[in-house]
Amino acid sequence: MSLLRVCAFAKCLSRRSLFEKCAVRPSLADCCQLCVSRRSGAVRRISETPLQLQRRNVSFRIPKTEDTKKRVLEQSTLLDVLEARIHQLQSDGVVEHSKVQFVKAPSRGASSGKATKSAPHQKTDIPKSAAKGGSKSQPSRWMEKLTQENKNKLKKQQHLQQKIQKKDKPAAKGKGGKSSSLLPGTSRKTISTAAQKTAPLIKTSRGHTNLADEIRAAASPSTVTAAGTGTGALPRKVSKGKQKKDPTSLVPSGEGGQQQQQETVTDAQIRAKELAEVEELERRLSQQVSQWTSSSNPERLQENSEAAACGDIQLSIHCYLEACVFAGNVDRAHRFLLSQHRVMSRRKHLNTGVYNIMMRVWAKKDTLSQIGRMFILLEEAGLTPNLGSYCAALECMGRNPNCSPRIVSRCLSKMEEDGLSMDNLFKKCVFRQDERDMVLKAIRIVQPDYQPSLNPTTSQCSSSLVQDFYIQRADHQYPKLDFSEEELQERFKHQLAMEQACTVTINSVEAAKPVTENMAKMRELLADQRTQWRKILLQALRESKLILANTNTKDYRLNLYPYLCLLEDREYVDIMIQSVTSLPPSGESLKILARDVGNRVYTKYSVRQKHQNQMVEKLGNIYYAYTDLLAKDTKEYEVLPREQWLKLETEQSSGPSLQGGETHWPYTVTLELGTYMVDLMVKNLKINSDVLNSAYDRKLIPILYHMYTFRSTRQVGFIKPHPILTQMQQDAMETKLTFDSYVMPMLCPPVPWTSVKFGAYLLTPAKLMRTVEGATQHDVLLERCHNLHAVLDSLNQLGNCAWRINSPLLDIIISIFNDRGSDKLDIPPPLSEAPKIPHFNSQDPAYTASEKAHMKREVITAKKKCSEMHSLRMDALYKLSIANHMRDELFWFPHNMDFRGRTYPCPPYFNHLGSDVTRAVLVFAEGKPLGPKGLDWLKIHLVNLTGLKKRSSLQGRLEYANSIMEDILDSADNPLNGKKWWMNADEPWQALACCMEISNAVRSPDPTQFISHFPVHQDGSCNGLQHYAALGRDVIGATSVNLMPCDVPQDVYSGVAQQVEEFRVRDAKNGLKIAKVLEGFISRKVVKQTVMTVVYGVTRYGGRLQIEKRLKEIDEFPKDHVWDASNYLVRMVFSGLKEMFTGTREIQDWLTESARLISKSGHTVQWVTPLGLPIIQPYHRTRNQVLKSSMQHINLQISHDSKERPDTVKQKNAFPPNFIHSLDSTHMMLTALHCYSAGLTFVSVHDCFWTHALTVDTMNKVCREQFVALHSQPILQELSTFLLQKYFAVLPSDAKNKKYQDYRRLMQLLAKVPPTGDFDLQRVKESTYFFS
Amino acid sequence: MSAHICRVVELMMRSACCHTVRSRTCLHKSGFAPVVPAALCAPGAPRLHRRAFSLGSLSSGPGRPTLGPSAQQPLAERTSPLHRKLSAVAVQGQYRPLCRYDYLDLGEVEDNVRRAQACKNSRFFIVDPDLATLITQTLTPDDAKTVIFDCNPGPGVLTRTLLNAGAQRVVALEGDKLFIPDLQDLEGRLDGQLEVVHCDYFKLDPIGSGYVKPPAMFTDKLFTDLGISEASWTDDIPVKVVGILPLRNDRGTLLKMVYALFERLSVFRYGRIELNLFISEKEYLKLVARPGEMMHYRAFGVLWQMACDIELLHKEPWESFTKSSRQHVPGPKGKLPNDHMCLVRLRPRADLFSAGLTPSNASTLLMMVKQLLAKRKVKLIDRLNLWSPDSGSKLLSEMGLSEDILTGHVYPEEYLRLFQLMDKSQEFTQSWLYEEILENTQREGWG
Repeated sequence: MSLLRVCAFAKCLSRRSLFEKCAVRPSLADCCQLCVSRRSGAVRRISETPLQLQRRNVSFRIPKTEDTKKRVLEQSTLLDVLEARIHQLQSDGVVEHSKVQFVKAPSRGASSGKATKSAPHQKTDIPKSAAKGGSKSQPSRWMEKLTQENKNKLKKQQHLQQKIQKKDKPAAKGKGGKSSSLLPGTSRKTISTAAQKTAPLIKTSRGHTNLADEIRAAASPSTVTAAGTGTGALPRKVSKGKQKKDPTSLVPSGEGGQQQQQETVTDAQIRAKELAEVEELERRLSQQVSQWTSSSNPERLQENSEAAACGDIQLSIHCYLEACVFAGNVDRAHRFLLSQHRVMSRRKHLNTGVYNIMMRVWAKKDTLSQIGRMFILLEEAGLTPNLGSYCAALECMGRNPNCSPRIVSRCLSKMEEDGLSMDNLFKKCVFRQDERDMVLKAIRIVQPDYQPSLNPTTSQCSSSLVQDFYIQRADHQYPKLDFSEEELQERFKHQLAMEQACTVTINSVEAAKPVTENMAKMRELLADQRTQWRKILLQALRESKLILANTNTKDYRLNLYPYLCLLEDREYVDIMIQSVTSLPPSGESLKILARDVGNRVYTKYSVRQKHQNQMVEKLGNIYYAYTDLLAKDTKEYEVLPREQWLKLETEQSSGPSLQGGETHWPYTVTLELGTYMVDLMVKNLKINSDVLNSAYDRKLIPILYHMYTFRSTRQVGFIKPHPILTQMQQDAMETKLTFDSYVMPMLCPPVPWTSVKFGAYLLTPAKLMRTVEGATQHDVLLERCHNLHAVLDSLNQLGNCAWRINSPLLDIIISIFNDRGSDKLDIPPPLSEAPKIPHFNSQDPAYTASEKAHMKREVITAKKKCSEMHSLRMDALYKLSIANHMRDELFWFPHNMDFRGRTYPCPPYFNHLGSDVTRAVLVFAEGKPLGPKGLDWLKIHLVNLTGLKKRSSLQGRLEYANSIMEDILDSADNPLNGKKWWMNADEPWQALACCMEISNAVRSPDPTQFISHFPVHQDGSCNGLQHYAALGRDVIGATSVNLMPCDVPQDVYSGVAQQVEEFRVRDAKNGLKIAKVLEGFISRKVVKQTVMTVVYGVTRYGGRLQIEKRLKEIDEFPKDHVWDASNYLVRMVFSGLKEMFTGTREIQDWLTESARLISKSGHTVQWVTPLGLPIIQPYHRTRNQVLKSSMQHINLQISHDSKERPDTVKQKNAFPPNFIHSLDSTHMMLTALHCYSAGLTFVSVHDCFWTHALTVDTMNKVCREQFVALHSQPILQELSTFLLQKYFAVLPSDAKNKKYQDYRRLMQLLAKVPPTGDFDLQRVKESTYFFS
Repeated sequence: MSAHICRVVELMMRSACCHTVRSRTCLHKSGFAPVVPAALCAPGAPRLHRRAFSLGSLSSGPGRPTLGPSAQQPLAERTSPLHRKLSAVAVQGQYRPLCRYDYLDLGEVEDNVRRAQACKNSRFFIVDPDLATLITQTLTPDDAKTVIFDCNPGPGVLTRTLLNAGAQRVVALEGDKLFIPDLQDLEGRLDGQLEVVHCDYFKLDPIGSGYVKPPAMFTDKLFTDLGISEASWTDDIPVKVVGILPLRNDRGTLLKMVYALFERLSVFRYGRIELNLFISEKEYLKLVARPGEMMHYRAFGVLWQMACDIELLHKEPWESFTKSSRQHVPGPKGKLPNDHMCLVRLRPRADLFSAGLTPSNASTLLMMVKQLLAKRKVKLIDRLNLWSPDSGSKLLSEMGLSEDILTGHVYPEEYLRLFQLMDKSQEFTQSWLYEEILENTQREGWG
């Protein structure tokens, strides 16, 4: 019976669904025409005053009659709704027409595409598409609004119900009844949904047949006209454009040359010219746009709207269901989905994917009838089944050992009707466990020899920059890792084990210290306490889960219960205990603590999920095969890691798919779960107050406290540990540190990024692009982007570099760390070195008031200092402990990038981007002989690290190094007892490491054969300005940042300092006091930081602070004048820069102004890097979201919500630096790719490139070539074209209003790319000091 | 349920007992129609009418200082007909004892408005002579010993009105250079009754270690320059401050002031400085919120109520103020009405520091109140027990409060007493949270 229904649903449901749609949409359209509004408006006006009075009374604190309160509130909400509707009715009636036309023009493609998809619905086709067309115009908007109203009402009601703790049924009924008298639309909905539960579905829809028919009849003319206007819109627009052009074509039409020659141009003519330009632009644009929309995907628009609709709620629902299913709570999931589905306002948050989750479950349970029911629900909700839905259906059929071929073929033909192909099914669906095999089995019932075609889509990189790189590979030699295949596989196993455990416990470097009696005692005490706490927490967790599971009677509300069933109870407790241990003594804000705890649960859950999906084994198989590409003992490959991995994946296609499938939890869910767990901790973790000092009375006191700190007018919730706990932890000096597994570097080469969703760690989820918590716009863009190959490949290349620890240096550092630290060498001292916090009794009458105040201040500063020291110390402890743990290992840093494409290693504490200390500890795992020039490069590198001789030529630096060989060797031999030459370097630890390397090399029998692991750096000299200068082909600028070959390196900072000094002399002559005071104080150092950061958008304000800091460092400088002087200097630096970099300034201004106008027009600034990486600036107006929990309301200030208007100030200020960053990241990626093909080891710290001493020259060559290649692209021109296309795809219609003027201004601006100078870019290739 | 009723009843009883905030609603509110910007260029007649009406109702109000009718002054020669009439109303019944024969001309209204609007900061101005008169009447400026700080006078209408009403010593603290020359001009014409300082009262004692230049200033300098010396707290009021609280960060400024008051820093080192400020209605209602109004009863209101006698002197619609070009009139955000500016008198209590509270332990009180009122619907006893286990019930019984009282139901006076008890108890002063509190009273948080 049920099987039959599945097969038959196509027929009967298509009709039913039609009724659904028609019934809802046009009926609302109709009802709006009625004068209900007027009437209700009158009603409102009459009843308003007494009601409002009543409301006021109610708000008084006496909850005497709850019933009246409820009733009154209900009435008032109803009134609110009506009021809102009146406004809508009044306003929309007028505005609608002009807007509607516009949306439709492009959307036609999409809807027609859909129409062809649903072609077999012959009978229903016409009315359906009509309904769809109609839905673009008024009715859908009405529907939206009504459901919105409904939602509001419901929300209020829920709130009320929650408050008065009553059953919701009578209330709902009451509401339904009441609203029905006024709004037929809503009443219908509630009735139908209420009926659904009990009565069979067919009945309900049949019950409405009459109504629906009528309405359809009424609606069809209007929808037809809507469709008519839809088609008419485009031609009309075109004609409008022509008309506009006509008058201007009277003015000399050949804009450009001729006109410019006319010397006497009147104002009118100028304006006319501008107009003509704009017209011309418009014409060009509309051509482009029409090409664009016609040629390319109708998907685009669909995706667009989908992305917009896909809000937080949808994601929450998705995650909730998945969590339910994962925890085996199918019943809850099912109930939830049904109750969401039942109510219109909630139904609109559902998409096909949500239903698919349930289908998947039923497929596993082999209940085809349930899947059929899901299909019915889908139809009912007006959604079309997608690949996932059919996949589940087929899977279910496959599981049934005696499934009749007829059913399968029905399903397949239905699928085809929906325009979905079988091959796509296998290509695009995410399979779990044995789903794929089951689907295949089902298909083979009908087509016994079906084989999914799996030729991977080999779309070549479109960017012309890297086209050659991908096509001409003949002379590429990809580097191999210095491991055998077996070794790599062994490492893989270790890494896998670590990630499966999710946490790693390692020895801290303080373990080397001897254990005192007190320490032993404390450790024991703590261990005892922890077992106690574990027990208590476990019990508390179980109890509260029980309460959560039982109290929540309303199915439709998302609650935390499923999220608390994902892991074993014990694991939650472990996570909580771990967070207690790592809580800093000064406490942590609740938000951060909760986020961390929540994230830990998520990470563990997603690892578990991969297990459940049986992915791990397959991953292992593919990885084993993949090692073939990397290992040294195998043949040479001509493919990149990503390509190899994809190939392997298609080869081993059976079983679960590796990619995708996991949904990130929305930020709010993570936070809510975290707060819940923190609340448990605060409430339950106790300790005896006499545990340390038996003199105190024994009382059971909490160890964690929830309190507030106050920042300006805000209050921030804080969790603070009791001092007893802190004391115990400090005294115990525990030697074990527990980290999340992703904190550690990887023990095997990372999985190559093959798509946006897959790469880096083996099991731990990682994001390709780091974003603000909760921002989704980047993901949406990335997923839409089809060709990220070059970006992914360069990330893989950076991640594939193996590292190891420089043990001798680490030993020295640890010895200092464990001794007393050293501020000078940037090794944070232990807390025992901290200033003692003075104790005083404020009651003591011996102190005078001023003494007390003084002591109080001292206490405060001492405490502040202590907490600073503690955090620095812990940071160093983590880094060094990880390094120490990795001492004998080889390891890898998987990479990802920020939203501008700058790359970063994923492990947060210990990586090569870190401070001098961590950088010094890291060397390449692979060693290469120094070769003929290697030793020289090492020496030059050493001099670079000292910060001396910046203005000497390379030869000069080398000579200097040779002249101080004695010091260098001494430093290497007696780092701590010798002359300590290295300690005075800018980067002392790296300098020391370099000294050691040089001494080893020099003392080896043949330095050219000396195997060096040491990375040599090449630094871009003021990289931001280099890019600006190259963009503007600015000769003076280019010379001063070393784009032009010179004998000695040019120093832009000195240049600016000189310029500023000139200004100063001039001003001093004119008698400016501050200029006189500054005599002799203007140096390179004073201006350096400001010049460096000016490119990255530092403002006068920030610049002044920087200079102020520098001036304060100069002891001789009179302190009274610091403010004036810094203010003066920052102005001079800015104007000095302006003088030197004219082109730069122009480009910067152009970028800023463009961003300002784009943002003002309501768009966010977006662009695409030359490698095709899409970038969007996530700065919007702040929206406050309050997260309610029993503990505290957490106020989230969300500034990345793409539905809010863009934050113009941020958008404009950030655009130039972000754009330049996106360029420098592109340059780095290009260099990385080409270095890889040349077989080099290459890593980068943004604009500082690292490689072996042997290969420095090659890298330098690649680096320069790629810079030239990058800037030979018409970057600004392309940016301008992109922006024009992006923001003028839809041309505004009304020529008169202010918006149109703005839009024209923007268009002119965007089209007017700043002119470039005549710097010859090719010269960069010869410039020695470009990167040095 | 019944418990709830009991609580409400109890609350009402207690509120009857401790009545401290005498928020006298204003009588003549109805007299003001929302007109102003249009009325400025319109003929003066309706405007005059309006004022006359409002003044009439004012003088009939009880408790107002009624001013005996006095000689009309011969201003007619110097002013235009329209303004002669206006000034006639404004100056009615006032005299200046020192220079009886020289009444200060308030200037043309249009002229003043124009000058005020030229100001580049976002500010409100008192330009309307009648409003100035009204304020002057509430201040009783003829008290010879009290100095009046006229904050940000702008075109100086209020300043002149004050002087006309017989103020002996007015200090005009003007933050905007634009108005300084005119004020100084006036200063020069007078015989020492007026001093003009380039200083923004609301930017006194800036935090942070920057270079301080006018209009920011330190109180020491200001008071030393003016020759006002420190006075005992219980002495008479040495200075009355009158002005409009800047809307931008008004809450922050109020908090900063109440902090200074409790710790006797800033101007309060010099005695009980009385503030007569125009603040927005919304902020005023929050300031005087009573226990039980869980939404608005916040630490900031509690502290002000604890420290000062708060009196609402006058309510004036936003429209009556002239605003500079950059100033926007705020709309009602949230549930509180916000149509007016309220002239509020905040007079520090003489007995504030008499029972256990001292400026040095006041910071603990501040932090205690803030911590307790961060959430208003928690039981007070729980909070107290967190600070010192098991001593909460003892304290509450000493206070005569019920065990299950919520923090949002405790009166300011009761908080003060609670603190005094806590400060005496060994358990609390030794509690580690007491120290945390100490640490947390950094100036950074005026929450």
